[in-house]
Amino acid sequence: MTTIDSGHIAPVQAERRRPYGLLLVAAPVLLVVWLIIWPIISAVITTLWVQTPEGSEFSTGTYQFFFSDGYSLSNLSVTLWTTGVCAILLLLICLPIALYLRFSDSKVAGYVQGLAIFPMFVPSIILSFAFIRVLGPNGTVDLLANAMGLPKIRSPYLTAWGPVIGLVWDNIPLTVLILLSGLGNVSNQAIEAARDVGARKLQVLWYIILPRIGNSVLVAISFAVLGIFSSFTLPYVLGPAAPEMMGPFMQRTFRELFDPRNAITQAVITFGFCIVFGLFYVRSVAKNRTP
Amino acid sequence: MSVLKIKDVSKIFANGTVRAVDNFSLDVADGELVCLLGPSGSGKSTLLRMVGGFERPTSGLMIINGEDITHVPPEKRPTGMVFQSHALWTHMNVFKNLAFGLKLRKVAPDEIKRRVEGVLDLVGLGGYGTRHVAQLSGGQQQRVALARSLVLEPKILLLDEPFASLDQHLRERLREEVRDIQQRLKITTLFVTHGQDEALSMADRIVVMRDGKTEQIDRPDIVYREPQTPFVAGFIGTMNLIEGTVSNGIFSKAGYSTPLPVSDGPAILAVRPEALDLTVANDNAQGKVHRVTDYGTHGLVDLELLDSTRVKAMVSHPDLFRAGQGVRLAPKAIAAYRDNAVIHRA
Ligand SMILES: Nc1ncnc2c1ncn2[C@@H]1O[C@H](COP(=O)(O)OP(=O)(O)OP(=O)(O)O)[C@@H](O)[C@H]1O
Ligand SMILES: [Mg+2]
Repeated sequence: MTTIDSGHIAPVQAERRRPYGLLLVAAPVLLVVWLIIWPIISAVITTLWVQTPEGSEFSTGTYQFFFSDGYSLSNLSVTLWTTGVCAILLLLICLPIALYLRFSDSKVAGYVQGLAIFPMFVPSIILSFAFIRVLGPNGTVDLLANAMGLPKIRSPYLTAWGPVIGLVWDNIPLTVLILLSGLGNVSNQAIEAARDVGARKLQVLWYIILPRIGNSVLVAISFAVLGIFSSFTLPYVLGPAAPEMMGPFMQRTFRELFDPRNAITQAVITFGFCIVFGLFYVRSVAKNRTP
Repeated sequence: MSVLKIKDVSKIFANGTVRAVDNFSLDVADGELVCLLGPSGSGKSTLLRMVGGFERPTSGLMIINGEDITHVPPEKRPTGMVFQSHALWTHMNVFKNLAFGLKLRKVAPDEIKRRVEGVLDLVGLGGYGTRHVAQLSGGQQQRVALARSLVLEPKILLLDEPFASLDQHLRERLREEVRDIQQRLKITTLFVTHGQDEALSMADRIVVMRDGKTEQIDRPDIVYREPQTPFVAGFIGTMNLIEGTVSNGIFSKAGYSTPLPVSDGPAILAVRPEALDLTVANDNAQGKVHRVTDYGTHGLVDLELLDSTRVKAMVSHPDLFRAGQGVRLAPKAIAAYRDNAVIHRA
């Protein structure tokens, strides 16, 4: 992305300045290559070239294993499911919050904003234990329900919904902030003009606001998805033992099963999915630049 | 019959004591163009936004065509508003901006096309339908905004300083165009401005506002010639307002005096620069020339009374006057005010 930037900024006629610009960009690019691109390449190489006594030989064995192993596949699908459900829930929760914050001028809005941003300052591990205390077996909700004579409900703790609740909570601040900044581009007058020609509130939302913040929605979703897809702590602590999300799965394959090659394969596959969303993000950013 | 009736409307903003609009009443006749004129913060926009439904009156009534619309939301009002910054929808092209309101009203597509193209022609933008909003100049954008309101054939057109962000030249041209269109369509219009030129050149009637209250409602020529309060006198055109006292039928202020047949007491004497003749006087001068500005067709003399009150006079031969010279003043037309009302006009 940095390289794309320089291409945009460097004016064509400033021929002589260009080397300095490139030099400035070179440092981060090299850092990215060294810390990110190279590890990726080497990971792909590690998984595709198997060390045998006679030397290395090309093999897609670990990939074949992953895509034929029922357990690996169910881990992948539970990860995709969690990510998808979280993304939808995030939009459903954050869009109304962001709309409220943008268009309300009551004092309450300030407090709501504070609350919405609050999860950002809570480390996920603390969040996990708070979650267990509140929603876990014999947690606050359970006890309250008991006290009121309500039937025992199954706690989402250690089910696939556990991580979903944690991850959604965890991602609310960033999503709200991104949507809010997008909504900043929609002027009050543009909305009033829409109401003036006869649009009711939902029509204003659908025809005027959403098209204007489509990009922000994409950016918010790609951010959330990228974070959630490869998240570790929340699914590890709150999620079921099996199937597990890719984060804990990789960690266990690596640490407990001492199988680095399969762990790296899992990582490369996770990366493959993430890069799709990454491209989504880059595309929406690029679209933002050229209106 | 009045199309719009505003009755004792007040607006107090929730956050405190600002009475943005204070007990305001106005009747607008069918096809009339009324300008709301006043300095910044006088409540013009607030009043217009209440007519459009974007603010709720704290008290009072709004009636359009005999129907009480005080609490009707903007989307259900027969009003069309043109905002100061055009407020076009930048994700739609010109055609779609105009068609949006018609679509919401479920007008048939070919009918939409016909009406949109008709209105685009009317505002001089025929063939611009497929343009994007960002590809238009400021003046064109304002025309589109006007067209967007007109295409819905509103009962009342509301314009809130629609030309404020345009340059002088363009503003004058658009002013004429809007006036033409308004008269051709005979559409009842409320026009907010704080430019007196705009109000004087466009309006059928002018409402001069100050601190949310009406100062005067009259035809432009009357507002200009017979301002009802010193505020209006000072706000419309250039006016010398000299505060002095009257005793025994003589108004006097620092060495200047002139007959004024009113009862004794304080008074404000109002004289337009063009109604003030000057003569050079070496003895018993009433004022002293401070500066002379030659505009080619005429000149403007700034002078000071003996207590350095500033007065302006328009003269046809500016070369007759020099700074420092003594002059005598001979007003041809005066008005006098006391307690915010006219007490004499001659
Ligand atoms: N939303 C608001 N909340 C609080 N006060 C407001 C609000 N809108 C306007 N006011 C106040 O109401 C008064 C009138 O404002 P208004 O915008 O109607 O003035 P205006 O005549 O249109 O001025 P301008 O020529 O600068 O546009 C001002 O004192 C302003 O500060
Ligand atoms: Mg205003």
